[in-house]
Amino acid sequence: MRDVLTAYPPLVRSATLVAATYRGRVALSLLTGFFPLLLMGVWLTVVAESGPPKGWTTGDFLSYYAAATLLWNLSGDHVVWQWDADMRSGDLSVRLLRPVHPFHQYATNDLGHRLVFLTVLVPALVLAALLVPGLDYPAGPVRLAAVAAALVLAYAVSLLMASTFALIGFWSTQTSNAWLLWWGLGSFASGWVAPLALMPDWLRSVAVVLPFRTAMGFPVELLMGRLDAREAAFGYAVGLGWLAAFAVLYRIIWRHGVRRYQAVAG
Amino acid sequence: MIEVRDLAKHFRVHRRQPGLRASLRSLVLREHLTVRAVEQVSFTIPAGEVVGFLGPNGAGKTTTLKCLTGLLHPTAGTVRVLGHTPHHREPAFLRRISLVMGQRNALFWDLPAADAFEVNRAIYGLAEGPYRSALDELVTLLDLAPLLHKQVRVLSLGERMRCELAGALLHRPDVLFLDEPTLGLDVNGQAAVRTFLRDYNARYGATVLLTSHYMGDVTTLARRVLVIDHGTLRFDGDLAALVEAHSPHRLVRVTLREAVPAQTWVGLGEVSEVDGAVVTLAVPRAETAAVAARLLTTLPVEDVAIEDPPVEHIIRAVFAHA
Repeated sequence: MRDVLTAYPPLVRSATLVAATYRGRVALSLLTGFFPLLLMGVWLTVVAESGPPKGWTTGDFLSYYAAATLLWNLSGDHVVWQWDADMRSGDLSVRLLRPVHPFHQYATNDLGHRLVFLTVLVPALVLAALLVPGLDYPAGPVRLAAVAAALVLAYAVSLLMASTFALIGFWSTQTSNAWLLWWGLGSFASGWVAPLALMPDWLRSVAVVLPFRTAMGFPVELLMGRLDAREAAFGYAVGLGWLAAFAVLYRIIWRHGVRRYQAVAG
Repeated sequence: MIEVRDLAKHFRVHRRQPGLRASLRSLVLREHLTVRAVEQVSFTIPAGEVVGFLGPNGAGKTTTLKCLTGLLHPTAGTVRVLGHTPHHREPAFLRRISLVMGQRNALFWDLPAADAFEVNRAIYGLAEGPYRSALDELVTLLDLAPLLHKQVRVLSLGERMRCELAGALLHRPDVLFLDEPTLGLDVNGQAAVRTFLRDYNARYGATVLLTSHYMGDVTTLARRVLVIDHGTLRFDGDLAALVEAHSPHRLVRVTLREAVPAQTWVGLGEVSEVDGAVVTLAVPRAETAAVAARLLTTLPVEDVAIEDPPVEHIIRAVFAHA
């Protein structure tokens, strides 16, 4: 494990260098990184025309979707496309030959790309939090530490869930399409389409035990101070549970799947 | 070092006839076919030996190589490389081997090779000293200095292959698998890679298993060859023995001072080529010396050379025979 951790910094660094190579790509990715603000616009219109749904004000939606923008950019689901492309082209062979498990190679690649965008996004969000009226996040070192832990958990669950899903590629060539379906379902349960507080009770009670909320809604709700200690502990427990579950699932699927790898094309 | 016993690798592939109807039918009814890519292959390669792996396209060379490097799980049989079972893919095993695939890029396409080498240093856990010394040596031997800081994607094929080789050898692997390492290179590029590989083997005693369609690669580097066809090993032995076993003729190349009538060659051998004053005869091996002597005494000969047919022809004969 020490060897793997030693390899992380240079692998992340090289991915960051690749991500920063083309200015056009960086600019386009930054633009797509602000997609959550479109949904915010929809909800602000709803508030303006119909009044605050379930008491959610303009300031609440501003705070919610500004934070959601950060989580949107901390999603590890890009690894699915990378795994899928490499399995289909046979480029996975190159990664399999290295003495570091491909999971870590894809993870560091994703981390490197995230870093490029976060170096722009985080200062922008901090600035917005300070300057935009209505954006309101209860401060305090304990809360910030709790949010930081939730963000790490969110990224870890998102990455591991996507990586586990990507292993379907050993059986099917339709991983990317299947992931779109999975992601579509998850977008309702994560709090991305609408905050879970606005969802029907039955959907919310299901969503809070699914992994999608850990990856999106939970850290945002924590940052906004909408969870008490018991709810926060429950959120962490669910997240850690999914982290463990995906880790076990990943190992099992990997063990069976890699036997089927055909290393096509050369 | 490398032990392969009764190796078999089968693939189950989807088969479909062309056309819309067949396409729609295959949505419901899938037809599968088992492709026996490698069957009952056995051989042993001791440490330090360079072995050429020959065969036509689809013969099973690359599949075997992929089983030896752990990329593929064998369907049957056992494979041991450096005391490891390759498909277990233990890091201790992967740190001691390298596979260079001529048509695959292991470097970072958008970064200079120097960055990729740094990444390899971390991945293979190389200390600064050994890494620096290996890199300096490879930069000198492969003449990489002008290439190190250029984006890989702007390098020519030959330049990229030299960088690929360097990246694959930074950790000084004990076993080197080469799959078409000179594919697409020009003559100079091929020669440079061959010379380098020969020197590397001599210097570090690395075991090398090489597949190539360029016979020059094999004749320059390997004394022993494995010939595989339709997934089955057809020959395992010295290249010279292969030539002797599958080529009953040698070529006698005669350079004449003046033209001679065509019937002159009757009874001497079969004329395989006429190029101006140079005539090439295919002569039964046992009669080569006698025919050469007759030519020298009876014809206006300026020069006589005796050689084996090109190995390509012999390999073709092996496959045709199989």
